[in-house]
Amino acid sequence: MLRYLNVLSVLALVGPAIYAYSIKYETMRYSAEIVKLQHSIERENDRMGILRAEWAHLTRPGRVQALADRHLDMQAVSVDQVVKASDLPERAARVDTIGRKLELLGLAEPTFAPNDKKQGATAPASNR
Amino acid sequence: MIDPMEPLDATQPQDNKPPRASLRTRLAQSMTDLLRTRIDKSTWRIRLVAMGFACLFGIIGGKLVYLGFKPEPQSLRRAASEAVSRPRPEILDRNGEVLATDIKVMSVFAEPRRIIDKDEAVELITAVLPDVNAKELRERLGSRKGFVWVKRGIKPKEQEEIFRLGLPGIGFLPENKRVYPNGPVAAHVLGFTNVDNIGIAGMEKHIDGLGLGDLTMAGFRIDPADLKPVRLSLDLRVTHAIRDELEKGIERFKAKAGAAAILDVNTGEVIALASLPDYDPNNPVDALETTRINRLNVGVYEMGSTFKAISIAMALEANKVNLNSRVDARESLRYGKFTIHDFHAQHRVLTVPEVFTYSSNIGTARMALMVGVEGHKAFLRKMGQLDRLRTELPESADPLVPRRWGELNTITIAFGQGLNVAPLQAMMAVGALSNGGQLITPTFLKRGEEEARANAPQVVRPEVSEALRYLMRINAEKGSARTVDIRGYFVGGKTGTADKIIRGRYAKDRVFTTFMAIAPADKPRYLFLTLMDEPQALPETQGYRTAAWNSGAVTGKIIERVANMLNLPPRLDLPTQPFPLLARLGFGFVNTPSKGN
Repeated sequence: MLRYLNVLSVLALVGPAIYAYSIKYETMRYSAEIVKLQHSIERENDRMGILRAEWAHLTRPGRVQALADRHLDMQAVSVDQVVKASDLPERAARVDTIGRKLELLGLAEPTFAPNDKKQGATAPASNR
Repeated sequence: MIDPMEPLDATQPQDNKPPRASLRTRLAQSMTDLLRTRIDKSTWRIRLVAMGFACLFGIIGGKLVYLGFKPEPQSLRRAASEAVSRPRPEILDRNGEVLATDIKVMSVFAEPRRIIDKDEAVELITAVLPDVNAKELRERLGSRKGFVWVKRGIKPKEQEEIFRLGLPGIGFLPENKRVYPNGPVAAHVLGFTNVDNIGIAGMEKHIDGLGLGDLTMAGFRIDPADLKPVRLSLDLRVTHAIRDELEKGIERFKAKAGAAAILDVNTGEVIALASLPDYDPNNPVDALETTRINRLNVGVYEMGSTFKAISIAMALEANKVNLNSRVDARESLRYGKFTIHDFHAQHRVLTVPEVFTYSSNIGTARMALMVGVEGHKAFLRKMGQLDRLRTELPESADPLVPRRWGELNTITIAFGQGLNVAPLQAMMAVGALSNGGQLITPTFLKRGEEEARANAPQVVRPEVSEALRYLMRINAEKGSARTVDIRGYFVGGKTGTADKIIRGRYAKDRVFTTFMAIAPADKPRYLFLTLMDEPQALPETQGYRTAAWNSGAVTGKIIERVANMLNLPPRLDLPTQPFPLLARLGFGFVNTPSKGN
């Protein structure tokens, strides 16, 4: 009886010990991973910094101006090109030019579409 | 053998007890025995153990104290962390564009004590890094220091090659290096840093002065993420634009130098600043040459006729004249053996607006004399023209004030001769004359209007300020500042041409021209300044070298180009009531819409 008790207590000791060790090692692994990730974040940040500097360098106004002068034929806006909103002409009434043209050609009636079976009965072609 | 009166250990077999007690009682007894200490019998053992522990802890404690007092050996890590350059906050413009930032670069260091063959190391390193001085490197490696730099800021390829050399005692450390992506744009405001990333000039020095320098000196490690970026008042695009226009202008008029700036008159923010020739802060080898100073802040100049605005404001503020007053400019003003002439002499009695538009020296001098020497001095002091202007930039200059200030000085200073001030200082004064009368100290940091106006003293009455705006406006419309009358922006302006002093005499053929313009004149937002040193007369300027032709023309181009960037939309309609206070006081308004502007 006592022997079982001993074995049991040993197990009761070893079990938590193993568990504790496993937790400890896991923690160590995670902390190593954290450090690694922190380093990689730092590296990424450094690279972002370099890219930011490079972007700022490449988009500096002097360079953009030189490129625009070479490749674009744009001009500065002059005051004459600016119009007040109130000076804009009134919007013309909506005219359906295509519809009017169709009417002139006599094509304004509804047309029969071959796959339009339900309407096929009422279409002028089948009414005859 | 066994004392029957003594309590017995339960584990010992006992004959006088029932041989088999129940399991429960035995277990309970053994548990209680485990926890019981028999003091009487084991006292000496406990004492021994206690002494042993006391000794052990005594030794540990002693060692700790010893280690605490022992001077720490200069470890490599520590030496390195002291030597590497610290991170600095980014500098951004008012829209968040990067003006200065840190990048990480690798630097090579050596631990001389760990290098076995120093000559070989020097030879191999100089083969990879040809720009390292071999003799100097050998000397450094021969020192007894634990840590020396070999070269700072190397390229990744060089790093790999040095790594491949496999030299013991040679290592790499990442360092912060300051870069200015825009090169010379805004260089004079930004300043620059040295190889240890410590600010030496400009805003960089100012930032160090705010406490960053002290922290790094005390050896605190600063996390770059904790550094808040510094927002300047400058606008990168506008700064580039004015620098570009100024460069073109200097080239066209073959001037020796020039400068341009834009000041927000309501907040005192310097929106753009350019001073040519300038330098590249990434490689500031020539930054300290005297020709490359910041002419707006460090140079002091006779501002010429632009100073007349201040003189007329003084006479108006002192109620000696009003806009309808007349001033005698029929004859040259004689004072002792000196005679004051007008450049555009009219030989008649002029009204106050005419004094301004014809830029009459005689008229301005007479107005200043009405106020008197003491009043003149007091007013200029109130306008901040007699003391050094201090902004965030560490570089500044004292104005050159005449030591004995008599009536003659008042006469000449009234039209801008005999008092040298920093152009930014003059801008501050003209800004105050146009913004409603508050003297706002210029700043290079972003700031709001309430904050700026809260501590700004009222130096002239709002009516005087409006009168000055009116004068500047008619000057741009029909006076000497016509070159700046850009359609749609209702600009006002004042020219200033000062003969330069060469060997103590005013040279007739060398001039220093300034031009100030405000836009829009009815509700002023920006003050533009352009100045040029020795611009030449050109055939297309009809042989004139006066300010309107060169500085004025450049200012006009600048306004046209940057107005959109400054969120200053062109107005197709003229303001119907641009100067309400003057209208109430009964002064006419010259800006009649019939002129078409």
